[in-house]
Amino acid sequence: MRRALLPLAALCLLATGARRPADCSGDYCGTLVFAAGGQPDILLPPVSVSALSRDIHDQIFLKLADIGMTLNTVGDRGFVPVLAKRWEWRDSLTLVFHLDPRAHWQDGPPVTAGDVAFTFQAYTDPQVNSSSAPILAHIASVTARDSLTAVFRFRDRYPEMFYDAVYHMRILPAHLLASVPRDHWMSADFGRAPVGDGPYRFVTWTPEYLELAADSTFFLGRPHIRRLLWRFTPNFDVAITQLIADQADALETLGPPPNVPRVQAAKQLALYRYSGTNYAFLQFNLTANGDTTRPHPILSDRQVRRAITMAVDRVKLCQSVWGDLAKAPPGPMPQAWWIWNVGTTPLPYDTTEAARLLTADGWVDSDGDGIRDKGGVKLSLHLATPTSSGSRHRYALLIQGQLKSLGVDIQIDEVDPVTFNQRLLAGLFDAALPAWNTDPTPSSSFAQRWTRAGWGRFNYGRYANPNLERLLGQATLSAADPQSAARAWRAVLDTLNQDAPGVWLFAPDNVAVVHNRVAAVTIRPDSWWALVWTWRIPPDRLLDRDRTER
Amino acid sequence: MGTWLARRLIAAVAIVFAVVTLTFFLMHLGPASPIVPSAEQPLDPDVVARLRQQFGTDQALSVQYVRYLTQLAHGNLAVSFSQRRPVAAALADAIPNTIVLAGAALLVDFGLGLLLGVVMAARARSRLDAGLGNATLFLRSVPTFWLALIVILVFGERLHWFPVGGTIDIVRHHSFSFLGRIADRLWHLALPALTLGVVGAAGTARFQRNATLDALSADYVRTARAKGVTERRIVAVHALRNALLPAITLFGLALPFLLTGAVLIETVFAWPGMGKLAADAIFSRDYPVVLACALAASVMVVAGNLAADVLYAVADPRIRITERDRA
Repeated sequence: MRRALLPLAALCLLATGARRPADCSGDYCGTLVFAAGGQPDILLPPVSVSALSRDIHDQIFLKLADIGMTLNTVGDRGFVPVLAKRWEWRDSLTLVFHLDPRAHWQDGPPVTAGDVAFTFQAYTDPQVNSSSAPILAHIASVTARDSLTAVFRFRDRYPEMFYDAVYHMRILPAHLLASVPRDHWMSADFGRAPVGDGPYRFVTWTPEYLELAADSTFFLGRPHIRRLLWRFTPNFDVAITQLIADQADALETLGPPPNVPRVQAAKQLALYRYSGTNYAFLQFNLTANGDTTRPHPILSDRQVRRAITMAVDRVKLCQSVWGDLAKAPPGPMPQAWWIWNVGTTPLPYDTTEAARLLTADGWVDSDGDGIRDKGGVKLSLHLATPTSSGSRHRYALLIQGQLKSLGVDIQIDEVDPVTFNQRLLAGLFDAALPAWNTDPTPSSSFAQRWTRAGWGRFNYGRYANPNLERLLGQATLSAADPQSAARAWRAVLDTLNQDAPGVWLFAPDNVAVVHNRVAAVTIRPDSWWALVWTWRIPPDRLLDRDRTER
Repeated sequence: MGTWLARRLIAAVAIVFAVVTLTFFLMHLGPASPIVPSAEQPLDPDVVARLRQQFGTDQALSVQYVRYLTQLAHGNLAVSFSQRRPVAAALADAIPNTIVLAGAALLVDFGLGLLLGVVMAARARSRLDAGLGNATLFLRSVPTFWLALIVILVFGERLHWFPVGGTIDIVRHHSFSFLGRIADRLWHLALPALTLGVVGAAGTARFQRNATLDALSADYVRTARAKGVTERRIVAVHALRNALLPAITLFGLALPFLLTGAVLIETVFAWPGMGKLAADAIFSRDYPVVLACALAASVMVVAGNLAADVLYAVADPRIRITERDRA
């Protein structure tokens, strides 16, 4: 027995005795491990499409200015200077940025206006194929007046010019990327070992984790936390397990409510609640399932859509699935959007009126099977939902139950996420339960999702209303001040709600988890870890792992 | 032996080719095409179309197939859609981790399995035999992923005895001395290797019990007993040596089991090996990575079986004589 225990004892000895002494102490120690569900695709901002890459870009690459905690996108109110120490409007279409002369690339050279001009060219080059290129279409040119002055020239005047100029582009090092052929950027070596100008510099990227180290010469102030690591996990559940087991320190959102008490039981973790930038809804397909050239035999009828909308008790569903962690939104929007409070009212929950509308429209149960029909067509719909979402699965079941009492038959099609997305894009569904993560503003996506311009793109249900498009133009392009913008947006949302192209189901609050030894935690709803460089771990709360040198 | 080996090698190449071809076409028969943007984080369809063009997935299937085979013949496994780097680099990162995990699991599988099998045979029809028989039957019956979750819950989440995932302590590994790094790796390997190995060991033990019982009833064992050889020596030397022959076949069959099991174990334990790579690639429709994983797995399985056949031929002269006679 004693002999059998020897290898175990030797292992323990190795594990405990073979470590070099930890030696960091003071204000600039600390290691933070983020649990990440998956891996980044590439660390080259224009060609990356993953949310995790964006989190890492936040630490490595700077913008000219960044959005404030209020997420205001109209004008430049609340925006924080970053690479640009100041800016001014030369005329109504020309915006001039003055770069901070202290800014430098992590390999030495200063950040110049030439880098800014280069970045704009790269983002808008079709060969680079950046997903931000369509959003930058309002900007005609970016030029360097001198090494520290970048001039943006716009094609037209609209409320979110400043936001468009600064939010979508992270400035890139021209001296390192100019020689890389643009059509090779999608798999460029630079994207596996980037050099930036942000508070953290790249250290290593393995299949298991990615590490960044604080740049002690960062011109806006030395970051307090010295090492940032992203531990890649295959899925959300494993990520939460890593947090509870104290192998990770932070996760941006806990997802569905059952995870919250599980994490609360781990004493080392603190929860932070913040407005979500995502929402989910019941999307109606107004064209025939699988044939976008024909109207849907049931859902192209506005009365039917309104009836179904009024038969879904959104508030009760939300409470049932999310408790107090989400709200039933007044329109297709997340809580973080400023239009949340413009005062629109969605159709009320009223099953009597819903039944009356259907009956008046000719949908009655003629054969007594519990399902309404009209002209030989059953009021039966296929509802697609992705297998990856437990909350939407529950919603599908609850909606099926609620609509059954109205005489509407719902067949649930659960498919894997990729197939689900493909079906949405191809119009292969009657109804579906998509969820969207959004930018801080409705302007950049609303037209793509609810107007004819979005057909074949993100307007999966092919809804269109010329009146709404006119109102949307007023809201996004011609509103002169916040009050008139709010009025215009209310008109847009009222029109949308009356047409009922979907049922707005839930807009969650996010609950982030961060180890309780971390102080000064600030989480910006649109970009969770953007302010990590301002967080700190007080010296008296440092753990052994915080002091470890690489 | 040379002709026999050449024939087996040609068959092995044909099997690998068939696996790659089948995987290629089955993937494309699936319900979704690659590079479909997430509905949660939509991409402009024009951007998606250009990405498809860049990756060549907009071409006819036959063109893609011929191009893939041509690339493969030149040792090029293409570029991963999701990782944006050569697939060969992704595989090179993943395969060593899978070999370490599968190797350790194989050690547990055969080390523990053979030991338990011999003990059960030596104490046949005793309470110990019955108890071990039931325990191995239970372990053989439970789904590997369920066992992995229980193990994580008990030894990782509750007791904190072992890490719940990964191959190293990512924060401190580089600060350890050489011996410390080895210990760190072993500490992280313990739970996944034991989980994967114990399930295999349960099957091996039951198999080995019967093989040993057969050997113990053979004439040469009776002769050894008549000569006064101790029971321990009879079991350990006379019976075990002969009962090991069928285990070699089992060894060849264990590789596919370990590789398929590794897909689940690597996913649950966040072990960055080939199984996790393949699982991620399947869910993201990263065809080049799926194909490369199928290729690598089939090569490993075919090579494992080939090795088992060769070992069997080396260990059992009757096999060689039969093959030579046939030749």
